[in-house]
Amino acid sequence: MTLFLLICCHFFSGYGLLDLFNIRQKPLVTLPLALLTGVAVASCVPFLLQLAYCPLYPATVFGALGLSCLLLNIRGLARAYRKWPRIGRNMMPRLRIRVYELPFILILSFLVFVSVWRCYYQPPTSRDALSGPEAIAEYAVREHTLINSFFTTDLSTTNNQFKSPYLTSLQVIYKMAGYPFGQIWLSIIFISYTLLLYQVLKVTLHPILAGLLLLLMTATPEIYAYTFLILYDYSNMVFLFLSLYFLIDSLESRRRSYFYFAALLMGIATYIRSETLVLAALFTPILWIRQHRDGEPIVKMAWTTGIFILPSLLSYYFTISLYNNHYLPVHYDIAALVNPHPFHLRPLFKAYGDIFKELMVSEYGVRLWGYIMFVWAGVFLAELVILRRFTRAARNWLYAIGIVFAGLGLLEFLLPLFELAYAAKRGLFKIIPLMVMYLANSQLLIRLSARISQWEQGRSLGSRSQQG
Amino acid sequence: MRAFLLTIISTLTVALVLGLGYNRVWFVDKPLYYWGSFIKESRSPAGPGQIRKARYGMAYTVCMQVKEAMAKQPVSNPVLLFEPNGYYRDSLHMDLHLPEPAVFYYYTGLRGVWMHSPGVEKANYFVRCNNKAEVKLEPIGSSGQLQIILARYQKFLSIL
Repeated sequence: MTLFLLICCHFFSGYGLLDLFNIRQKPLVTLPLALLTGVAVASCVPFLLQLAYCPLYPATVFGALGLSCLLLNIRGLARAYRKWPRIGRNMMPRLRIRVYELPFILILSFLVFVSVWRCYYQPPTSRDALSGPEAIAEYAVREHTLINSFFTTDLSTTNNQFKSPYLTSLQVIYKMAGYPFGQIWLSIIFISYTLLLYQVLKVTLHPILAGLLLLLMTATPEIYAYTFLILYDYSNMVFLFLSLYFLIDSLESRRRSYFYFAALLMGIATYIRSETLVLAALFTPILWIRQHRDGEPIVKMAWTTGIFILPSLLSYYFTISLYNNHYLPVHYDIAALVNPHPFHLRPLFKAYGDIFKELMVSEYGVRLWGYIMFVWAGVFLAELVILRRFTRAARNWLYAIGIVFAGLGLLEFLLPLFELAYAAKRGLFKIIPLMVMYLANSQLLIRLSARISQWEQGRSLGSRSQQG
Repeated sequence: MRAFLLTIISTLTVALVLGLGYNRVWFVDKPLYYWGSFIKESRSPAGPGQIRKARYGMAYTVCMQVKEAMAKQPVSNPVLLFEPNGYYRDSLHMDLHLPEPAVFYYYTGLRGVWMHSPGVEKANYFVRCNNKAEVKLEPIGSSGQLQIILARYQKFLSIL
């Protein structure tokens, strides 16, 4: 019952947020998107209570969750008060599952079930979580504050107490709700993301190809492990992907509300992992290119850049500059961790080489990511050699892949603690959904989809229209 | 008929993706193994304490032994000094990896320090483990006694 209420709270909070940004999607996209954004809203609540020095009792935490849900829906409620909305047919999710989707749905359901069970019953917990956010959350539930007795113990062996309050906040909520290991929120993110990605892939691809790509993505061993092991990287991957999805959509459709929503999602991704701020900055040239083509004045380009980067800057300010430096009893000098020789560039190229050789194309890479990178590389090369052009959407996703790769190398170069074996490896999570989205927008797969659809509908291949 | 053929294709595709190369190893070792674990555990579910013991292994069991032993000691604010993990590895040749002070506090609510910790001078109990992972607590009565302990373990690494 508690879980049901929490899920409802996440859904309505997220739905309210989508409504505020005028995000209109089909119901099977809105449902997971609302849950994902709702979890993100919840993750801010205990943190904001702490910033306001409000004690973290179940009454204050759940009260604030309810209040945030109400406030986010106030516009919708006011609209409903003026005119009660009629629930149209198109507002209800229409589940149309074809028989050939079932093998994919069954195997994905199996993978989801196993992950949820591990998350709920037998969660593995990394040292990074135990020596920081998980321990802080455990003592926050007992002592009603995020700044608790954990900080009085010897923390000389760890820096995990300085990481984002995202994970701690969600753990506090779920531990207070009666789940000793918390972390069921991670299953909500996993299921919502899987459902959303399947719907997104089906927009351009035949369900068989969409199912294949989703299975390749879900069955990447390293990412699958993080669907039941609480850390920041899986959530960071999801919100960065969502931000880029709406950003690229806004570039195509020129919907300002989608652009603002993308900026907010990038801010959430930065809230989860502060290094995302570097990636957010690296994504701004895509805005400049588009605005330059549209003949926008420089002032407007600067304004748009500012709007896009602002939520990420605010996230960074609240979690690092304000909270770490002015609330926590121990301080973290990030400046001291930055590479003191930024103009000595050889290590930068070595970082790119190491990421590529050791994490992407090696045997170890296969154990981390399965074969999805090779599938991506195969389709990319085939398009490059055979078709010699890419769709605009594919180009945008290629740009996103390039930026994440460039950003990871840069982070490894600038922050020596951003180690290849840990942070850079998990940072590569972010590239996988972008590769999947590139594949979903590649002409080869779109043409193949069209052929399968025509054959399925009984039309001869010879009379097919020139799609894709 | 065409839908049926597409169903066969999608079934074969699933089998191919999960049966190919390393994916097969992963699928058997991870999701299928977890499924077997689910079947076994669903017959007799364990409590959170048992699950923690199973998850965190011998180190957690040792930490809980320390907690039990400390509950019997007449000291209000104990600070426990641990032997370095390098000592267990290199001298006792055992696979014991005691957690760092932050994780020890998470497990037990007790404050601990390592040999090289900044607050090591506050240590008032010394935790010793033998090669059967049996725990022994020794009170540290003076700073001289502490210095002797620190000197004895100086050559061993504090491995995370």
